[in-house]
Amino acid sequence: MPLIKHIATASVPPALAPAPASAGQCDTALLDAPDAAVRRAAAHVLGDCPEAVPALLRALEQEVEQPVRSAVLAALGRTGSEEAAAGLASCLRSEDAWLRNAAIEVLRGLPAQVATVIAHLLVDWDRDVRILAVGILDTLRHDCVEEWLLQLIEADPDVNVCGAALDVLAEVATGAARAPVERLLERFRGEPYIAFAGELVLGRLARSR
Amino acid sequence: MKAVKHILVVDDAATVRMYHRTILEEAGYAVTEAANGVEALEKAAGAAFDLYLVDVNMPHMDGYAFLRALRGQDGPQVPAIMASTEAADSDCRRAFEAGANHYLVKPARPQQLARIVGLLLGERA
Amino acid sequence: MTETAISDDDFQRFREYFYRRSGIQFEPSKRYFVDKRLVDRIHATGSTGFRDYFAMLRFQASGAEWQALVNEMTVNETYFMREDYQFECLVQSILPELAARKRRGEPLRIWVMPSSSGEEAYTIAIYLLERWPQLADFDVEIVSSDIDTRILAQAQAGLYSQRAVQQLPAAWLQKYFKREDGGWRICQMLRDAVAFTRVNLNDPREVDAYRGFDVVFCRNLLIYFDDASRRQAAESFFDVLRPGGFICLGHSESMSRISSLFRVRKFPQAIVYQKPLEGL
Repeated sequence: MPLIKHIATASVPPALAPAPASAGQCDTALLDAPDAAVRRAAAHVLGDCPEAVPALLRALEQEVEQPVRSAVLAALGRTGSEEAAAGLASCLRSEDAWLRNAAIEVLRGLPAQVATVIAHLLVDWDRDVRILAVGILDTLRHDCVEEWLLQLIEADPDVNVCGAALDVLAEVATGAARAPVERLLERFRGEPYIAFAGELVLGRLARSR
Repeated sequence: MKAVKHILVVDDAATVRMYHRTILEEAGYAVTEAANGVEALEKAAGAAFDLYLVDVNMPHMDGYAFLRALRGQDGPQVPAIMASTEAADSDCRRAFEAGANHYLVKPARPQQLARIVGLLLGERA
Repeated sequence: MTETAISDDDFQRFREYFYRRSGIQFEPSKRYFVDKRLVDRIHATGSTGFRDYFAMLRFQASGAEWQALVNEMTVNETYFMREDYQFECLVQSILPELAARKRRGEPLRIWVMPSSSGEEAYTIAIYLLERWPQLADFDVEIVSSDIDTRILAQAQAGLYSQRAVQQLPAAWLQKYFKREDGGWRICQMLRDAVAFTRVNLNDPREVDAYRGFDVVFCRNLLIYFDDASRRQAAESFFDVLRPGGFICLGHSESMSRISSLFRVRKFPQAIVYQKPLEGL
C-alpha cells in the first residue's frame, strides 16, 4: 500500500535540538558553531534573550549563510529591545540590499523602540537612509508617524525623500497635513511628481468621510 | 483596430505606481501593477506584457534581480525600462547589464516617460 | 443610524493599504463586496465613519481589527478540490522532480496544514492515487495538522456535506465515498492513509517535532497572521522542509512578501516556493 500513515513524526536529530532558553542561560557561544544548522537553531532560541542582542548583532555582521542571517534577524525582532532597534537601524547603511530591507521589516514591528532612533534617521546626511527611514513609517503603529512626516517635508531638500513621505501621508494624513503639504507643493513647484503626490494627499483629505 | 499595449508597472510605493499608471493610461496603454520583483514575475507568468517599467529598489527582489530572471527565460525579449533615484553612470551601466533597454531617473516627467515608452514599443512594430 | 458609504478616495486608500499588508489586490469589480464588509466593520467597531475606522485599523497596537477585517475579506470555506491547480502541480511537476532525487525506500512526506476538516489532505491522497503514475514506486506519508482538536476529530471521522464534495469528479466520489444519512463518508482506506495531529504553528517548540518533509501545503492560513508571526512561520517551514522541498501557499498569498528564504519556482500549473537544495 503506497500511501502510508505515519503518526510518529521524524524526531529532531540531537545536534539540532535547541536547549530551551531559561532565565540567565542565554548561551551565545553556539552562534559561532561550525555547523550552520546549529547556528541557525541557536539564533532562534536567542530571540527570548535580550542579553544576547550584542552577540546577535555581531552575528548579523559576520554571518554569510542566509538562513542563519534570517534567523538572527527574526530573533533580534523578538527580543524587542531598544538596543536591537538601534543595531537594526544602522543596517540601513549597509551595502547589502537584503539586509537593509529585512531590517526595515523587523523595525516596522517595534514601534516603541523605533521612536528613539527614528528622529536621527530622518535627518541623516544620506538621502537613501532618509528614504528607508520613511519606509519604516509606512507600516509603523505609532501615533507620531504623521508628525514625523510633516516635520520632514517642511525642510528636506531631496525630491525623492519628500516624494516617499507623501506616499505614506496619502495613507495617514489628517487635517494637520494640509498646510505643510501646500507649502511643500510651493517649494517644489514645477516638479510633476510632487504635484501629483501632494494633490493626492490633499484630495483624499478633502473627500474622506 | 490596433491592440492596446499592456504595461507592467513595478514599484513598492503605491503613489509612484499610480503616477506612472496615470501617465501611461493617458497615453493609451493598459496597466497592471506589482509591488515587488517576485510579484512582478508572478504576474509576468500569467499574462503577456508589451513592456516593463521597473523600480530598482524594492524589497524581496529588486529590479536588477527581476530583470535577470526575466532575461533568463525563453521567449521574446520584452522591452524594460528601469527607474531609479540614482543618477550615477555606474547604476545606469548596471541596469543595462541586467537587461534594461532604458534607464530613467526618478521622479520621471510625464512627457519623458510617455516618449520613451512610445519609442520602445514602436521599435517592436 | 446614518448611512455609511465609502467614497471613491476612501476605497482607493483602503485598497492600497490592504494590498500592501496582504498582497491581495481588489479589482474595481469587487467594489460592492469590499464596501459592504467595510461598512460592517465600521459599525461593528463603533467607528463614526471610514476615516475614524481606518485610523484605528492603521494604528491599533494589537492589530486585532486587522485580523477581523481579513476574516471578513477572504473566503474561509474549505472543500474538496479547492484550488486544485496546485494538486495538478503536485503530481505533474513537484513529485516527479522530488522522486528523481529520492533513494530507494525513502518515503515522500507531505505536511498539510491547517487540516481543518480534512478536505485538503484527503484531496491530495485521492490525487496521488488517481493522478500520479509513480505512486506504486513510492511510500508517501501524509500528515495533516491543526490547532483545533475538535476539527481534527471531524477530519478523522471523514463525514462531509454535499457542498464539500461538489467539486469532485463523479467517478472519484463514487469510488472513495459512501452515502450515509449525515452526508458522504470517505472510505476507511483514505481515513487510514492520513495522520491527523495537533500542532500550534506559532509555538516553535511544537513545530520542532516536524522535520524531513518534502512538501508543505499551507494555504490561506498565513494571511491571518501578523507580520512577525508570518515571518516566524516561514522560518519554521524552512526547518520543516528537507533541502529542495516545496511549499505551496494560497493563490493570493506570496512567500515573497514574507521571507526570502525560499526560491520562487514557476511550474506550468502553479507558482510554488522551494527551499534551496544546497546549504541548510
